[in-house]
Amino acid sequence: MHEITVALSLLDGVQATASEQGIERVSAVNVRVGALSGVVRDALLFSWDVATADTVAAGSELRIEEVPLVVFCERCEGERAPLPGYGLVCPECGTPSPRIVSGREMQLVSMEVPA
Amino acid sequence: MKVRVVEIASNLMLKNDALAAKLRARFVESGTLVVNMLSSPGSGKTTLLEETLRRLSGTYRVAALVGDQATENDALRLARSGAPVRQITTAAECRLDAGMISKALAQLQGEHFDALFIENVGNLICPAEYDLGEDLRVVLLSVTEGEDKPLKYPLAFNTSQVVLITKVDIAAAVGFDRVAAGESIERVNPGVRVVEVSTRTGAGMEEWIALLDSRIGAKALAPAR
Repeated sequence: MHEITVALSLLDGVQATASEQGIERVSAVNVRVGALSGVVRDALLFSWDVATADTVAAGSELRIEEVPLVVFCERCEGERAPLPGYGLVCPECGTPSPRIVSGREMQLVSMEVPA
Repeated sequence: MKVRVVEIASNLMLKNDALAAKLRARFVESGTLVVNMLSSPGSGKTTLLEETLRRLSGTYRVAALVGDQATENDALRLARSGAPVRQITTAAECRLDAGMISKALAQLQGEHFDALFIENVGNLICPAEYDLGEDLRVVLLSVTEGEDKPLKYPLAFNTSQVVLITKVDIAAAVGFDRVAAGESIERVNPGVRVVEVSTRTGAGMEEWIALLDSRIGAKALAPAR
């Protein structure tokens, strides 16, 4: 639902860096998106094409790295990946583990420009 | 084609988080308790808020900001409580962000409030990501919804300090399973404060108002002032 906003924010970051460095064309953009961010991959890819038309990033490839949900289990004293749909619960000992280590990311990592 | 990699490394939430931090500092300064209310569409946010404003406005200066993608209907409803209310129409956006709150506050013309309630856009996904500078994030779960909603939208429930179970007057009629709902909540936010309310019968409203009352008092006395 908010993918077009996410795409426009990503584009903002790309355009800012491009204009700072005098870059005229961007061929690919690498982003990291957490499992809890509610971003739908296909919707973001579609939004990216729409958002970037007639910009420095027109026709660029958006590469989405999906970051899995990881929580910290106090009982196991370690990082664990909960099973989807079971809440923030340690998959090994069943302890509710509300401390989120990763899975909330929405990060612009880097971009590629023709050399 | 040879390519060159340009590092950017920026977090999309940075802009919102920076604005939210400014709002938070401003609310500390003014001693205003800020409550951000999240829920699915139709869970009873507006009705609950109308009643909440009505009950608090005898004692405190309260105001509300209400976000919707379209219409000013909710602001008109909330204004019946007598409290100042501003509608934020978000159009394509599925949530409020800190920038929208700053703009809407400007319309309240620097008046002092003891408490500011923000009714977010009815949606459990996007609003969970956006810090609005609030002290208290409250998520509503009505008895007509699935008991497993916290499992479907873990972030909204995980980041809230209070869960309000609403419309409890019809819990039996719709076969609401309290135990199952409680278990779902515990799986994403163990120990979170849960209050069952009904605006129709008034059940639980005293507990909810008492909770706000103590938080408003604590904020007004906060040492940062």
